[in-house]
Amino acid sequence: MCAEASLPAIRLMVEMQNPAVEGCEKRSEPALPSHVETRDFSVFYRTNQAVKRVSLQMSAGRVTAIIGPSGCGKSTLLRAINRMNDLVPGCHTEGELLFGGQDLYSPDVDVVTLRRRVGMVFQKPNPFPKSIFDNVAYGPRLHGGVSRGGLAETVERSLVDAALWYEVKDRLHENALGLSGGQQQRLCIARALAVQPEILLMDEPTSALDPRATSRIEDLIAELKGHYTIIIVTHNMQQAARVSDYTAFMYEGNLVEFGATTQVFSTPRQKQTEDYITGRFG
Amino acid sequence: MRLQTRKILDRAFTGSGVLAIILMTAALLILLTPMFVRGSGAIFFTATVEHRRIMLEKFDRGDRDAVERDIRSARAAREPVYRAIAEFERQLAAGDAAPRRLYATPLKDVKKALSVLFGPEPGRPRPMLMRDQYGQARWDRAQVKLARVLCREEWDYSNPAKAGVLVLKPRAADFAGTPVAEIFPYLQQNADRMLLPRRTVYWQFLTDVSFDSHFFGGIWPEILGTLYLTLGAMMLAIPMGLIAAIYLTEYATESRLLDLLRTCISTLAGVPSIVFGLFGLAFFINTLNVSPSKSVLAGSMTLALMILPTVIRASEEALRAVPRTYKEAALSLGAGRWHAVWTIMLPAALPGILTGIVISMGRAAGETAPIIFTAAVSVGKPLAVWETLTQPTPALSWNIFNLATEHEAVDEVRHVQYGLVLVLVSLVLVLNLVAILLRARIAKRMRV
Amino acid sequence: MSRPGRELPSLLLSHTARRRQRLTAALGTGFLLTVTSLSALAVFFIFYFIARDAWPFFRLEGAREFFTSMRWYPSAGSAEFGARAILVGSGLVTLGAIVVAVPLGVTAAVCLSDVLPFSVRQVVKPVIEILAAIPSVAYGFFALVVLAPLLQQSGGPILGLMVWIIGAPLAALAILVVVDLATDKLSDRSRSRVRVLAFGVLSAVAVAALAVAGKAASGLVISSGTNALNVSLILGIMALPTVVSVSEDALQAVGRDLREGSYALGATRAETLLRTVIPAASSGILAAVILGVMRAVGETMVVWMASGNAAQIPHPWYNLLEPVRTLTATIAGDMGEADHVTGSARYHVLFAMALCLLVFSFACNTSSEWIIRRARKKAGG
Ligand SMILES: Nc1ncnc2c1ncn2[C@@H]1O[C@H](COP(=O)(O)OP(=O)(O)OP(=O)(O)O)[C@@H](O)[C@H]1O
Ligand SMILES: [Mg+2]
Repeated sequence: MCAEASLPAIRLMVEMQNPAVEGCEKRSEPALPSHVETRDFSVFYRTNQAVKRVSLQMSAGRVTAIIGPSGCGKSTLLRAINRMNDLVPGCHTEGELLFGGQDLYSPDVDVVTLRRRVGMVFQKPNPFPKSIFDNVAYGPRLHGGVSRGGLAETVERSLVDAALWYEVKDRLHENALGLSGGQQQRLCIARALAVQPEILLMDEPTSALDPRATSRIEDLIAELKGHYTIIIVTHNMQQAARVSDYTAFMYEGNLVEFGATTQVFSTPRQKQTEDYITGRFG
Repeated sequence: MRLQTRKILDRAFTGSGVLAIILMTAALLILLTPMFVRGSGAIFFTATVEHRRIMLEKFDRGDRDAVERDIRSARAAREPVYRAIAEFERQLAAGDAAPRRLYATPLKDVKKALSVLFGPEPGRPRPMLMRDQYGQARWDRAQVKLARVLCREEWDYSNPAKAGVLVLKPRAADFAGTPVAEIFPYLQQNADRMLLPRRTVYWQFLTDVSFDSHFFGGIWPEILGTLYLTLGAMMLAIPMGLIAAIYLTEYATESRLLDLLRTCISTLAGVPSIVFGLFGLAFFINTLNVSPSKSVLAGSMTLALMILPTVIRASEEALRAVPRTYKEAALSLGAGRWHAVWTIMLPAALPGILTGIVISMGRAAGETAPIIFTAAVSVGKPLAVWETLTQPTPALSWNIFNLATEHEAVDEVRHVQYGLVLVLVSLVLVLNLVAILLRARIAKRMRV
Repeated sequence: MSRPGRELPSLLLSHTARRRQRLTAALGTGFLLTVTSLSALAVFFIFYFIARDAWPFFRLEGAREFFTSMRWYPSAGSAEFGARAILVGSGLVTLGAIVVAVPLGVTAAVCLSDVLPFSVRQVVKPVIEILAAIPSVAYGFFALVVLAPLLQQSGGPILGLMVWIIGAPLAALAILVVVDLATDKLSDRSRSRVRVLAFGVLSAVAVAALAVAGKAASGLVISSGTNALNVSLILGIMALPTVVSVSEDALQAVGRDLREGSYALGATRAETLLRTVIPAASSGILAAVILGVMRAVGETMVVWMASGNAAQIPHPWYNLLEPVRTLTATIAGDMGEADHVTGSARYHVLFAMALCLLVFSFACNTSSEWIIRRARKKAGG
């Protein structure tokens, strides 16, 4: 069995009778089934168009990085994927955003289920002011159907997956705000993993952390790769180059370039991309 | 201007600022000192044997034998006084009509003053009112009354240019040459043997009912009434205030309607408290008929309305102070909006909300005007919980006013007034202290 | 990191589920909105019910007598309802309260926001909070039982002392400034001599004036301690916390740049505050004053207990040593008797007074909010 076979995403494909499933068997196939796909997708804040007709495909089980100068619409695009923008008054979209073939902005999509399947990690670590255990258990409790023993097991597994278990296993019932910034961020990742999402959205997850904590998170991303589809926004070129398989470069709401990370960083097709990557502007 | 002058002016300016703050603090101290000093006098005071008698006879408190021994010894000490008067009356009865007429009024006055001091003469039928059944229970009052026995007060209007002047005339002079003349020096010298003053801690002042419109006993009905009114008001105001605050911060989108709601709430905050009282009367009692007449329920509703804006504002502020990211994190985990508010936002905002609630609780406990027409009566017994739906109640704030201005003998119950003030002010201060501590805790948590 | 297999929840909602979800959401929000509007509707209810019961009075008696006549005999055979003296009484004690609260409050606010170090501020803040928290009936009790006898017995001497305490420093500063300004233009040589001379003369004049004023004040006989002065003092103290905290907010909102700009030009702290900061915060301070007025006008217990409750206009009108009667005290005091005669003009006139109070406080509230909002917009834009 290939590693991706355990991927929930794949089962999703099966469920949806997507012929792309066969593609999984041949691991050499370069283009994996796209998990999230945008087609001429735009996001507006009232009249301000923050994302402009972007079309791209993010592959299942891979890490896609979105880079670009500040204010270019990276966060907006990312937050569109789990519809966090719904909270912003006056925010609306055009075009299609497909998740496993399903348009996310069609009226009969259940936002709660969507967010359960698309986890998110924020720029600043934002654990709830509760105990470490309660933080991780928040999602599973919310969605119900777990016994007490099952809950403890889920919490442990999520913490292990987030590479935090050995640091906190003796203080699970202490307040999460007592952890260091890097630990807090890994706790937030664990919290997101605990609801067993298929996609993990990360909006500059390391920008508030020191280099050591950053490298731990990066290692973690590498470990999670293959099991989750990860989309990460970052300002750090090296980070994008290190952790991602694909890179999208955005500029003023437009998608300038999208491709395999090695290609984007070594032989960018667009002048803008090259300028940005080499630090000539931004 | 010269630099020197400018510097002096600058200092003067700073000085006046500091002075203003010192004045403010001084005002607070001047306000609180008499309340605390004299208020504690309602509980810690020098009690006479009459106080111990009341305790024994009304509450069955104290060592019966010891108290009865005291009573006997006080009686024995008072005996010569009554004997002298009886002796004199006998003389008068046997003698001419002229002295009888002459001494009739002064003698009656002396006997009246004595019965105020010591209670009714032994062997007389028991009077109706409790205040007439016992002598002075407090040593400080007893001394005032003793002075009344020793001297009579007279207004001197001899100087027409000035207002009347009060002069004290010793009664001993009125009775010179009679057996009664001797009782005055005797009274003066043996007052403590006749009243047996002793330092007392009457902490039951807080838990006793009052007798004979507060001449004796404690202030439990008032305390209980204030608790009922305050808790009732909080029970109504907290859910409404919280819901409104949640709506305003989490659900409402900026719109005309929202502006209107906000304006209404801030207008509500500015309505004078007496107007709330009238509204409570006109609406809750006369229109809605929540109770046939004044009741704790109607009063609580009125108070709740009064503190509602405070609760809403405090909760709103506390909810707004919770980082937005908490909510986003909860939503990103698949929580519904309501669930996020309930499990994350409210707990995080709780200390702030509590601070607001505690402060408005102090306000509800202390307000008088809204309950005048809706809930308060001057005298009443402690209510049972179900009676609060239909019955009015005494309350600390109202009874302070009532005893200080409308009571038939304002001076006699001064200690009760101070006691009520002390309890009310302490209650409010404790609530505010809690609020200050809560706020300090929030500040500390914010810093972490 | 292998996961046990699990059924993927479908993204799509069935038609009925979606309807149900929408319905619950709408119901929930509707419920919240209803409760919120209830608290807001209360204001309309209050206006409506007060106006409803005030209306019969104006219909029965007309508004002219109410606002112009001074004859307040609500219980006489042919009742008269002239409330002018009462309106003036409310105004007078409020004015007195403002005279006490505003200078003190604004100075304290300036001191709090710009002079005192943070640690001292932390101590002073609770003082203000406690002043605001003490129940009005306790203030009233203090006014009636402590302050009134004190004023009655030794009010004159106290006032005389106050004249000296307040007058002497003010006079000293005024003399200093006047002499300084006057001698600015003189040549260096003559200056010092003129200064000494001017100081001497002006000080003598000031001392004489103060002595005369102090003597006059201590000679005052206060026939009753429950009077407008007593109430004004207490109401002033009660309005103080509002004035202090709102003005302090306004002063803090002015921001550092303006202050630093002024300091950079070599101004002292006093000059910076007086010429730059306070003018910039003036609208906020005005709002504070309005809110203080509102507090004083709406206060019931203190005036009821300690104002003397005489429906008369003092002679001269600013004579604070005479008893007065206010709207709030009239409502509180007369309702006890009028209550039995629901429907009479006597009952409704109290609602008319409440309506006056309500309209006034509404006007105050709205204007103060408008001022604050405008100031904020100006600061923002
Ligand atoms: N809530 C909002 N309301 C209105 N406009 C917004 C909102 N959030 C973002 N914008 C606008 O949308 C555009 C894109 O913002 P976005 O946050 O997506 O940028 P970004 O690429 O994430 O920038 P950064 O790297 O600084 O995080 C910006 O012009 C911003 O001003
Ligand atoms: Mg961003």
